[in-house]
Amino acid sequence: MTKIVNNKQLIACQQCDALYDKPELKQGQRAKCVRCGNVMAERKVNSIERSFHWSLAGTLLLVPAILLPLMGVTLAGQYHHASLLDCVVVLIEREYFMIAMLVFLFAIAVPVVRLAGALYISYSFKFNQLKPSLLHFCRAFHHLDNWAMLNVFMLGIVVSMYKLLDDTQLSVNMGLLAFILWLFSSTMAAAALDQDYIWQKLEDEFVD
Amino acid sequence: MSINTAKENNLALCPECHKLNHLLAEVTSKKKIQCVRCHAFFYQRKPHSLQYTLAWNTAALIAFIPANLYPIMIIYSLGIGDPATILSGIGQFIDQGLYPIAAIIFTASIIVPLIKIIGLYLLVYRVHTGVRLRPIKHTKFYHALEFLGPWSMLDVFVVALLVAVVQLGFVTSVAAGPAINYFTLTVIFTMIAANSFDPRLLWDKKQTIESFKEENDK
Repeated sequence: MTKIVNNKQLIACQQCDALYDKPELKQGQRAKCVRCGNVMAERKVNSIERSFHWSLAGTLLLVPAILLPLMGVTLAGQYHHASLLDCVVVLIEREYFMIAMLVFLFAIAVPVVRLAGALYISYSFKFNQLKPSLLHFCRAFHHLDNWAMLNVFMLGIVVSMYKLLDDTQLSVNMGLLAFILWLFSSTMAAAALDQDYIWQKLEDEFVD
Repeated sequence: MSINTAKENNLALCPECHKLNHLLAEVTSKKKIQCVRCHAFFYQRKPHSLQYTLAWNTAALIAFIPANLYPIMIIYSLGIGDPATILSGIGQFIDQGLYPIAAIIFTASIIVPLIKIIGLYLLVYRVHTGVRLRPIKHTKFYHALEFLGPWSMLDVFVVALLVAVVQLGFVTSVAAGPAINYFTLTVIFTMIAANSFDPRLLWDKKQTIESFKEENDK
């Protein structure tokens, strides 16, 4: 039981705790656990480069996606439209504070912070400006993974369009296009980021 | 087939950066560890994982009851309010012949939360008793539960959008009902419940059962 193992050469599966020798992965390869089939490590192709460009695109799209109207309705000669930010503002005006807060958090704040985080991380790696504070930053960054719900909001837009289509005249605005592109680029930016590579590099740089 | 686990070798995996940490001799597995790489505090296994999962899960189940009884959305047309619960909203879609949308909403707001709550109860029960424990299957099931979590928020976003877009004064407007708060609570509670469950416990339990059997055979 008490054999001494060098833990730099080992990895463990996050799901079932099985212990393996650290595999030498080439770009595009992934290591799967033989016991539970979970992907333990993956070396993504051109991770930093791709993540940087996607998050840059996402940051540019962020402002129009949030501020431009997503869709509008016309009924009996009256027209009204709403953007993502309007949703939150209207909900606050009508005193639904809890939903307003949640919509703001899950559909605006968390995705924005996550995108900015991906941009910052990939920027520092691309231009080799590594700081010790990145260790804490990367750690905090992963806590947001579960709570960005842009894709769910997108499905929500589709469903509510169907609901409105029936008895009103519906018009789609530029905001929707910007929103879809924003969703796409922020998803790609997060997916392209290679955790193992980032941690390994930070460890080589700052830990003993 | 016996696989070495990190726990047996006195190692612990950091949940944040996936670095293997050595446990010092005097540190028992129940103690808090600080990762040498990212300085996060963690435990070898999530402490009281089953209890936390059970508690959050029960809270979610309780919140799910008013979420279905109260109206989630009130549609005013020409000043007359028409309250709709989650189920009656789905009924309206079926009446209008919009079956795919009805199916999406039914899956997202009724089936997914229920499967999550029942599934987590089942996982906790299986880990606790070890009855018919099949870790491979259960780990995959847990993965699916974790993935499905956020999609239940669909109904909340739909209501939020409708409230914001449909504001045509007296002609027609939409207001949110009290059920929306309970429903969001259900979703958040199930997400926290799924987060507090530790799938490695499934494998730990399997291994103790197997080693127990081997001893009995001798």
